[in-house]
Amino acid sequence: MRKQIIIRTALVTALILIGIFLYVIGKEHKVVIDNRDISIGDITYSASTTYVVWVDNQEIGVIKKGERNAAIVTGVSHKIVVEEIKSNVLTGEKHEKRFRLKTNESATVNIPAIINNANEWIDKTN
Amino acid sequence: MRKKSLTKTMNPSVLFLINYAVPIIFIILIAFAIPLSGLSGLYFIRELMIRLSRNSFLILALLIPVMAGMGMNFSIVLGAMAGEIGLIFITDWQIVGISGMLLAILISTPIAVLLGYFAGIVLNRAKGREMVTGFMLAFFMNGIYQLFVLFGMGNIIPISNSSILLPRGYGIRNTINLLGIRQVLDKLIPLKIGDILIPVATFLVIATLCVFITWFRKTKLGQDMRTVGQDNEVARVSGINVENTRVLSIVISTVLACYGQILFLQNIGTMNTYQSHEQVGVFAIAALLVGGASVAKANIPNVFIGVILFHTMFVVAPRAGKALMGQAQLGEYFRVFVSYGVIAFSLALYAWRKRVEKENERKKIMNYRKSILAK
Amino acid sequence: MKKKIQNIIENFGLPRIIIFLFLVLLFILTPFVGIRFDTSINDIIVRFGMNGILVLSLIPMVKTGCGLNFGLQLGIIAGILGAVISIEMEMIGFTGFFTAIGIAIFFAVIFGFLYGLLLNKVKGDEMVVATYVGFSSVSFMSIMWLMLPFKSPNMIWAYGGSGLRTTINTKGYWFHVLTDFLKIKIGNYIFFPSGTILFFAFLTFLVWAFFKTKIGTAMIVVGSNTDYANSCGINVDKMRSISVILSTVIAAIGIIVYQESFGFIQLYTAPLFMAFPAVAALLLGGATVGKASIKNVIIGVFLFQSILTMTPSVVSNIIKSDMSETIRIILSNGMIVYALTRITRVRT
Repeated sequence: MRKQIIIRTALVTALILIGIFLYVIGKEHKVVIDNRDISIGDITYSASTTYVVWVDNQEIGVIKKGERNAAIVTGVSHKIVVEEIKSNVLTGEKHEKRFRLKTNESATVNIPAIINNANEWIDKTN
Repeated sequence: MRKKSLTKTMNPSVLFLINYAVPIIFIILIAFAIPLSGLSGLYFIRELMIRLSRNSFLILALLIPVMAGMGMNFSIVLGAMAGEIGLIFITDWQIVGISGMLLAILISTPIAVLLGYFAGIVLNRAKGREMVTGFMLAFFMNGIYQLFVLFGMGNIIPISNSSILLPRGYGIRNTINLLGIRQVLDKLIPLKIGDILIPVATFLVIATLCVFITWFRKTKLGQDMRTVGQDNEVARVSGINVENTRVLSIVISTVLACYGQILFLQNIGTMNTYQSHEQVGVFAIAALLVGGASVAKANIPNVFIGVILFHTMFVVAPRAGKALMGQAQLGEYFRVFVSYGVIAFSLALYAWRKRVEKENERKKIMNYRKSILAK
Repeated sequence: MKKKIQNIIENFGLPRIIIFLFLVLLFILTPFVGIRFDTSINDIIVRFGMNGILVLSLIPMVKTGCGLNFGLQLGIIAGILGAVISIEMEMIGFTGFFTAIGIAIFFAVIFGFLYGLLLNKVKGDEMVVATYVGFSSVSFMSIMWLMLPFKSPNMIWAYGGSGLRTTINTKGYWFHVLTDFLKIKIGNYIFFPSGTILFFAFLTFLVWAFFKTKIGTAMIVVGSNTDYANSCGINVDKMRSISVILSTVIAAIGIIVYQESFGFIQLYTAPLFMAFPAVAALLLGGATVGKASIKNVIIGVFLFQSILTMTPSVVSNIIKSDMSETIRIILSNGMIVYALTRITRVRT
């Protein structure tokens, strides 16, 4: 009898845990990608060129200076890659950043900050 | 006249014709309608493939209650509702992909178990008229579902995603876009032959269910169900808890129907919040009957033959109607008529035979009594 | 004392008590939510007249043990046929109304006869078979409405398209001929539709009188004990057939009265679920699957229609949204499920 109760509780707990796990890895997040001027502390990084952006190996598209685009991502850990375009040709100069999002978090990413390796390149909001 | 020929005939070919009247009529109908529709073979195969993957699971969910002698389980609609509630929640929380689908399954399973348990108890109280009760129960629960989804959600049950809520602030919209889980299972294992996408993973799931049902028949519980299905009293004497067994068969069926509906909707990709489940029972049952099943006997081949025949008709009827009468609407009405007609016909045929058998038995007993008295 | 209350509850049925109390509550609430009491009463009376005969039509079949007539739609179809043919013939006023009824009875007898033959073959499973016979006949007639060669410009689509419209107006033909007959006006808000009520009373009397005749009593015997009826030399199948025909005929008349009062003939899928509210009303009136009386009809229609009239207006005034459809579904189908789970199997 006791054993049965323990097994059942364990089973229910396991299912709830699986549920939480599925929730976390299946949750959608919105990531806004800015190619705009940004001031962090005293330093201002200015957007000057056009970039192609990939998020989680999915091409988001070309973002000109002063523009923004958005990506919908699923799960916890993500990768963003930006590559500069000069006169319609990819320069081959890639910048890669990795980031993690908690459930219910969305993020704004700034390209000039990524290029300049600034610490505050990502802004996560709930 | 027919009554006599039905009861007295022992000619096997005539018996076969009577037993399989529905599938035979269907094959003839389709044979006429296919050339009329003018559909290409490839289009046809693609459509059939989609419909096989979409509907088989729901129809398989009907098999277990038939085993337990409860006839066609019209209350699988309750399972479909449970599945839809799961889907509403994951859409609200924006959980996508295969994990979204699994989470929907996880959420809706306990709801389906509860609803199935409730349905089982109700049906136990209506022994001998399970079908009409199950059918009315489905209607009744549709009202409860409406109360819950149209008035409760966003009110008592928190819904944060305003895009699925009605403009007035509570209640779920009439249609929900399931973009996040659209065909995730169908495309999980990609395989294309020519132009036709084959939903390998979905078929694997269906195959697993077939194996499960075959295995289930051989388990203790499965054997018990068959005993209960044959004769309640015999089962009771041999120590089977008849009521429990019947409830269990309905619970299993409801849970399977819940998964079936999720599978169905992930293929379609949009959900009619208040209509998607309504016709689930009718179409599944009609298809199973078209596959040659009866109220008392249904097996896995019936399911697949049924899907193929029934849905071929579904694909062909509107086009044939248009070619014949210049109106697609006619075909629509025709296929609804056929769905209801098939059920009416099969149920009537079954009830008629049951009664004839009963009467024959009674006559036998009377004659036996008479012969004893004569001695 | 406690036992006495229990007895009353047992006799009257718990759901009926709940619904009755609910209704009383609704009536008490009316003044507080700004609804005129007298208009509500008027609505209830009008609806009573509209739906009474349809519910009455269930009685003969229950009496002979055929169960609740879930195939009521057959009668409705006969009635619609009568109605559209009378309009096609340009019959106006009482002539039109009675022509419609005459034609409807003709079709209802034919349909009822065939339906009766079928139901005699499936004794014991009448209800589930009847449900699907009803459904399939409605969908079959949907095809027919598209194809039958009706010509009247008031009934076919004005532009292109063939077949009858989904709703046909009875204005200009026999709209409210019965309702306005001997209409009594009480105050500014109550119009008593004497004609409709009198017609209902007349039919009710006929049904009551019929069951006093020799055939009628024979039918009751069939319903209460088939074996006994057999041994009395009553032709069970014949009696059942007569009851089915009778039910179908009354249903056909019932739908015409409904259309006369409502103002529209609804075609295609509209009649699909019409059997359920009627059945629910009868059950609400205290009938069971095996037993029903005129009293059940009157109480049932009154309770059921009162709830349907009062709930939407009162509830929507409180929560500011229309719950009437949902409540109707829950109430009528819940009532039927309740009745189905309470009965012991009718003997075959």
